[in-house]
Amino acid sequence: MELLEYAIIGGILYGIFFSLVGIGLNLIFGVMRIINLAHGQFIVLGAYAAWLVSRHFGFNPLWGVPVSIVAAAVIGFPLYYAVVPRLQRSGDPEMLSFILFFGIGQMLEALTVLGFGADQRSLPSEALGAGNIGVLGQEFPDSWWWAAAFSMAAIVALWLYFTRTKLGYATRAIMASRDEALATGISVNKVSALAFVAGLALAGIAGVFLPYLLGSVSPDLGDGLTTTSFAIVIIGSLGNPLGTVIGGLVFGLGTMLMQTYYSSWSNLVPYVLLLVIVLIRPTGLLGKAVRSV
Amino acid sequence: MSDRSWLKRWRSGLIVLVLLAALFLFLPHVYGNESLLFTLMTFIVLAQGLNLLYGFTGYLPFGYVGFFGCGAYATSLLVLHTSLPVLLCVLGGGLAAVVMGLILGPLLRLSGAYFSIASLAASQILYYVVSNTNLADITGGPYGLKIEQVYAPAASYHTMLAVLLLATALAAYFRVSNFGMGLRAMKQDPVSAAMAGIDIVRARLITWLISAGVAGLAGGVYAWNLSVFYPEAVFTLQISVFAIVFALFGGVGTVIGPLIGAGVLYSLYSAIGISTPQYFQLIYGLLIVLLVLFMPGGVLSLFTRRGLRVF
Amino acid sequence: MSSEFLLQLQGVNKRFGGHVVLNDVSFGVAPGEIVGLVGPNGSGKTTTINVISGLYRTDSGHITFNGQPVHHVPMHKLAHLGINRTFQVPKTFRDMTVRENIEVAAHFGQPGHAVDVRGILREIDLETQADKLAGSLTVNQQKLLDLGRALATGPKLLLVDEIGAGLNPAELGGIADLLRRLAQRGIALIVVEHLMAFLGSITSRVIVLGAGRMLFEGSLDAASRHPEVVAAFFGGEA
Repeated sequence: MELLEYAIIGGILYGIFFSLVGIGLNLIFGVMRIINLAHGQFIVLGAYAAWLVSRHFGFNPLWGVPVSIVAAAVIGFPLYYAVVPRLQRSGDPEMLSFILFFGIGQMLEALTVLGFGADQRSLPSEALGAGNIGVLGQEFPDSWWWAAAFSMAAIVALWLYFTRTKLGYATRAIMASRDEALATGISVNKVSALAFVAGLALAGIAGVFLPYLLGSVSPDLGDGLTTTSFAIVIIGSLGNPLGTVIGGLVFGLGTMLMQTYYSSWSNLVPYVLLLVIVLIRPTGLLGKAVRSV
Repeated sequence: MSDRSWLKRWRSGLIVLVLLAALFLFLPHVYGNESLLFTLMTFIVLAQGLNLLYGFTGYLPFGYVGFFGCGAYATSLLVLHTSLPVLLCVLGGGLAAVVMGLILGPLLRLSGAYFSIASLAASQILYYVVSNTNLADITGGPYGLKIEQVYAPAASYHTMLAVLLLATALAAYFRVSNFGMGLRAMKQDPVSAAMAGIDIVRARLITWLISAGVAGLAGGVYAWNLSVFYPEAVFTLQISVFAIVFALFGGVGTVIGPLIGAGVLYSLYSAIGISTPQYFQLIYGLLIVLLVLFMPGGVLSLFTRRGLRVF
Repeated sequence: MSSEFLLQLQGVNKRFGGHVVLNDVSFGVAPGEIVGLVGPNGSGKTTTINVISGLYRTDSGHITFNGQPVHHVPMHKLAHLGINRTFQVPKTFRDMTVRENIEVAAHFGQPGHAVDVRGILREIDLETQADKLAGSLTVNQQKLLDLGRALATGPKLLLVDEIGAGLNPAELGGIADLLRRLAQRGIALIVVEHLMAFLGSITSRVIVLGAGRMLFEGSLDAASRHPEVVAAFFGGEA
């Protein structure tokens, strides 16, 4: 029974964090129909930013969060204007963006290895409190609670952005119908660019906590994270990035339960989830998944 | 097209096949590293096999390596557990990949990116299942398989050449036949193609199975040639990535595109990629970005843009 | 009476989500007959064509062709049975030549049957463009190619979706002649149109749809005087 309680509560914490992991991918697709296949790589970059900040400069790794946001803006805005409008004018923006961002992901992975080496890196556990916090008799590392807290804060912030700000409202308009948004005078490119940067920033922020949740980080984690994010996004949302929370929780609980009872099979979880969901839920949120012919 | 005689239509294809055969039969005499040539052939086959699916139907299987690994394992297990001659085991590898393709057939209902990611998930599942320690008794688990008893570098080299010729012949067939014309129509507009009388579901499935079979055969011969391998060697995502990049670079939907793409890029890889794989990765990552932005049809599109027909 | 109909729709209903797009649509078309299908935008004209040609499935109701039920038959089989259509926005195979566009449809639409590809090209007046890429044609030429593709499958029933839009009077006359010729060969035609004069020149029988319902069936003249039809087109009280 103890094991089950541990798996469930741990799964919820893990799941809240993974909602943050997935939400950037969802946001970018929702607003501009671009599939950021380099998503996992940006998460890894966020982890390395935290590593730099803490191991190299000696600050608390939480400073990786603002660093990630700034880096997302510095990389994101030029990247958006360089490729996205072009992609949207092409014949098949979905597939072309898929391949293009795949290329970007490969480049990022190579640069990460060149910059940091291929070994695993971890973050100092004392930085976020070396102890454990207990709930219902189960104890989890402080860093997990920090991760879940930051994730919830980020999700709430996104919700507030969507519902309380003019820009957020404009973003939702674009998500509902790009053409109509254009017609009503919204500067679609500016709002989309902002959403793009936000998506990258959210990935980076998730990356800051990643080494704590997984134990360490290495450049090759990117692909697995992208696929996992895909699974999370597909399970949960119905066109609403905030629905990613459901996907994250399903993934988190599934993973923790697998790790507790059948640990050698636990790395199958995201892939099986993705395959099952995509085959039984044909109208996924990422546009129409199933051909009409 | 139906007016031209069989020989006329197949002329370009036959020329390519003869040149390929001559090239790879001749090269080992002047270039000592047969193992490199073998791997080069393997990647040309994979690029061509991927081209059969992506170039003619628009489906991009990110999990293409799954069929390769399937073939490798099926062949090895047949060698270990039956007394069938090696060549039959290789055929068995191809067959196993086709069966896997049938099992994964429902994926073809998905479109675009969904299909790509789902196929990636499927191949990863295969990898994790095969390499799981609990199954070590059956599949060797993380320790891999050894089939040294059939090790034969020369025979496996020639068999891979045969598979390469088969894959290229299939591409030529797609290019000149009515079946291939139907595929092209289907890729451009599935609804219109259906209304033209093309059985889209069947055409897609057949192409998918052929593509899977090619990868399976390649996997079987590869396993035979290596004769000792770990699961990563035949299931790694990098193999899918290379096949995709090579095919895209050369130009999909053609016969010689994958040949050029794999030939050029794999040679580059063997020059710089084995010692410094990150630089190679950086280069081909950049290449993909530039291709999508400026040359989505690959190198061959430089010719087609000028009105020259390429095969 | 219904046995002489080539195509028969009975009580066809179609919904998208909560929105009813076709509501109890029933009519028949005889061989060699031209029937007009008219109605304001959103009244379900193209949906009717989509349902007959197999792109959409009916939620309920029957569609029979030559006595056989066809409402759940896949599109390519319908093409083999003799049902074909054009598209409002022409769907040609843009990277293939004009000739190849026809050849594909001829090969797959009538397997084993020798088709006069040149004859079709001449009929749609694209013989001189035969080796040009379909994507390089003008929109009007693409519409004709779309029609040619449908003809190459040897249809007994042809559904024509707003082919008149954007054509000048001379071109309209040419199309009208072509459609009349097709009907004379025994091909049944359902022509969706907004251009009433054009429609009037090729047929005397129209079906008027309004918000998915059949409002009227009869002559074009009588339609223009029917109160519900007038209301549907111009809104407000009849």
